[in-house]
Amino acid sequence: MGNYSMIGHSVPQIDARDKVRGMTEFVSDLQLPGMLYGKILRSSYPHARILHIDSSKARRLKGVKAVVTAEDTPRVPFGPRTEDWTILAVDKVRFVGDEVAAVAAVDEETAEEALDLIRVEYEELPAVFDPIEAMQPGAPLIHGKERNIVSEFQLNKGDIERAFQECAVVYSAHYFTNQVYQAYLEPMACVVQCDPSGRLTFYLATQIPSMTRITYAKALGLPLEKIRVVVPPYGGAFGAKMETNLHLAGAILSQKTQKPVRMVNNREEDFMAGNPRVPMYIDLKVGASQQGKLIAKEVKIIGASGARAVYSMAIVATACYRVDSLYRFEHLRTEGVTVYTNTVPTSCFRGFGNAQMTFALESTLDMIAEALKMDPAELRIKNGLKTGEVSIHGWQIGSSGLEECVQKAVEASGWKRKREEKRFGHGIGLACCNHVSGNRAFSREFDGGAGIVRIGREGKVLVYHGESDMGQGQKTVFAQIVAEELGVGLDRIEVAQVDTDLSPFGMGSFATRGTVFGGNGVKAAARHAKEQLCEIAAELFETVPSQLELREGKISVIGEPERSLSFEKVVEIGVLRRGGAPIVGTGFWVPDTVLPDPITKYGNISPAYPFACQIAEVEVDTETGHVTVLQYTAAHDVGKAVNPMAIEGQIEGGVVQGIGWALMENMVVEKGKVLNPDFRDYVMPGPLDIPPIHSFLVEPVDPNGPFGAKGIGEPALNPSTAAVANAIYDAIGIRFTELPITPEKILRALKDHQKNK
Amino acid sequence: MIYPMKLTVNDELIELEVPAHRTLLEVLRNDLGLKGTKEGCGAGECGACTVLLDDEPVNACLILALQADGKRVTTIEGLSKGSNLHAIQEAFIRHGAIQCGFCTPGMILSAKALLERTPNPTEKEVRRSLVGNFCRCTGYQKIVEAILSLAKRGDG
Ligand code: FES
Ligand code: FES
Repeated sequence: MGNYSMIGHSVPQIDARDKVRGMTEFVSDLQLPGMLYGKILRSSYPHARILHIDSSKARRLKGVKAVVTAEDTPRVPFGPRTEDWTILAVDKVRFVGDEVAAVAAVDEETAEEALDLIRVEYEELPAVFDPIEAMQPGAPLIHGKERNIVSEFQLNKGDIERAFQECAVVYSAHYFTNQVYQAYLEPMACVVQCDPSGRLTFYLATQIPSMTRITYAKALGLPLEKIRVVVPPYGGAFGAKMETNLHLAGAILSQKTQKPVRMVNNREEDFMAGNPRVPMYIDLKVGASQQGKLIAKEVKIIGASGARAVYSMAIVATACYRVDSLYRFEHLRTEGVTVYTNTVPTSCFRGFGNAQMTFALESTLDMIAEALKMDPAELRIKNGLKTGEVSIHGWQIGSSGLEECVQKAVEASGWKRKREEKRFGHGIGLACCNHVSGNRAFSREFDGGAGIVRIGREGKVLVYHGESDMGQGQKTVFAQIVAEELGVGLDRIEVAQVDTDLSPFGMGSFATRGTVFGGNGVKAAARHAKEQLCEIAAELFETVPSQLELREGKISVIGEPERSLSFEKVVEIGVLRRGGAPIVGTGFWVPDTVLPDPITKYGNISPAYPFACQIAEVEVDTETGHVTVLQYTAAHDVGKAVNPMAIEGQIEGGVVQGIGWALMENMVVEKGKVLNPDFRDYVMPGPLDIPPIHSFLVEPVDPNGPFGAKGIGEPALNPSTAAVANAIYDAIGIRFTELPITPEKILRALKDHQKNK
Repeated sequence: MIYPMKLTVNDELIELEVPAHRTLLEVLRNDLGLKGTKEGCGAGECGACTVLLDDEPVNACLILALQADGKRVTTIEGLSKGSNLHAIQEAFIRHGAIQCGFCTPGMILSAKALLERTPNPTEKEVRRSLVGNFCRCTGYQKIVEAILSLAKRGDG
């Protein structure tokens, strides 16, 4: 277990006391003096030319302080990857929900009333909603790009044709993963304040504060130093809360009015102009030898980016090849296309493409196992990458607990026995996944994490980082790491809110990178502070720093417990001797990841790779088609668990989102309009729909993670859809290849099945 | 039209004047500054705005402030006394039932109503009582565990 005082201990979130008392000020709770309320006028057409906007009536409404359109913005195209956005629509709208104009008023009601008074004349244009149709010749062009193609991905290795000929089994299927919504409980929100010098402070719910700042500087035509991003607590994100026009419209309104402006999506807006998951068509063909060795994989993916590319091309790329570092495939043919459609821009959602592909691959593997009469669990163990292996794409697996995950899950779920006792309608299914802890391919510029630890005279330790706690408990993990290094209790630690004026530049929270990157960053900073404290104490004890240890709030000479001083005493002496300067530790961590080659994709994209195996047990009601998940087992390789209780919480939350996606969640979009933009019609699992979830942590100490830790956020969800689909197959012998697997689909399939018998 | 009304909020009698269409949620958050009560949907579908109205859990976004005239409202701010937390709050902390915390105030108030009605609930009863309270982060498990830990077992 290691001799840790903090690491590996289940502790509540450090801000839990505030949260339970309703004292936490979320972004949508912020109120600044003189603050105005902003609202956005959104397009109700999926594709139309804007002929004329008349906002004179809205401007005259009492309480309205500003009405802005594209005219009031720099109209510079921007975007995190492809520069295909503008802050407000210029000439054309491209999806229902596209931002056309914005209003700031003394209250939200007035702002909403003003929206109704803005007259926009449109000329409707032909629109296209499905990515396959959008690629056809003659399809309406959304951004003037040939066949609406955002980007293409290709990757070939080995000799795929020959390999398939030599396989004992080959299984191919066409999968579809639908568009789902992250459904964080606090809608997207911000407060933006323009000061008299023209500097903008953005109070944002964003996972990527430093990156957002760069993108917004470009969009607003401002130098970087004119933009400050502060990240107050916010209510969940799951990938969605990155760049959004909501923030930028707030900035324009604040510039115009010279007042702080708060913008909060209502739930309907959040559905129609949020950032849902990239839907994908996946054609997958996999071949294996008679002994169950996976040999060849051919995949063709078409992903719909919606009306802006955002990160969709990277998501499709991830779907294309991440799983190749889960099993030992030798021959690959891969093609991915990302296509514009006249729908809401799609982007990151827990799993980042790997979740989509894991559904397809893990469903396929069960069919292969069946053809080979092999236990699906054994097939995974046989092919799964082990510690020390290098994958076909160069990924260096510093630690892999995959095999142990499968064994744990199999054992705990009663897998063997339940697979054998066949009863129609009852089934058990398994799925595995790999993932990353940070993605080198995400930014060409750099990879790394950094921290600052500031200790003032009173001995309070303030930790700065550049990532983002969206509610998962990241701050607490950072506090634990710093407390461990400094040998103090958590009560001494505070984690500062991210503020680009003070915090290190950080890439942010995505790709399951927080614990490893932010964690290593603050660890290095704490170590630097510790060195300084040891130097101060060494002078006092007339010894050398290496003879000192920091434990239990004390700094003592090793082996001589009577020669010791309290942590705060040493800090105080040090600060006073240094003319009042606080003890400031700064540190960084740069992993030896390797940026993938642009053509071969050979590289090493992450310092630490997490793995998992999940098992679902289901009962299918063959009368109604309803699926009840009876039991759920989730075994996760998380490296050294820093905070087991928080990790379990991540697993439970991820699994429930996965079960929701597998069985019920679906954004119903017709002619570009979301028909179910609310929590009544967008059905998600409630407390009665889910089984007890048994989590198991497998903890190989990773060579790169802080104290051996790896990430958990995304793997928690990745395998869940396939585990459920595989359990349904085991229950009724029908393979579902499209998500979600609703009662209607099950009933229809059961009927067809009967007929064909 | 503006109407006068009275509310007892967290044991304090408050007199105020509100327009007819203003919801209880708006009054709590905007007029009284009690922002512990959250808005997640504004349509009675998420439970983030749950408060107790004469001890019964209600969605404050669905109730007009005037409908609460003369009644007692308990919000999350009324649950702890100074730094002393309510047992449910302690249980939520202990069990890791909190992630982003946006659902937490509503959850805790729903739990309070349940435990007052049913001091010894089964797991099923706990889950049933939370159906109107949506949580996207936790998967409910630790919330259910936290509430069950307070069930008065063995005494009846
Ligand atoms: S805000 Fe009232 S139920 Fe969602
Ligand atoms: S903790 Fe985030 S919604 Fe419940």
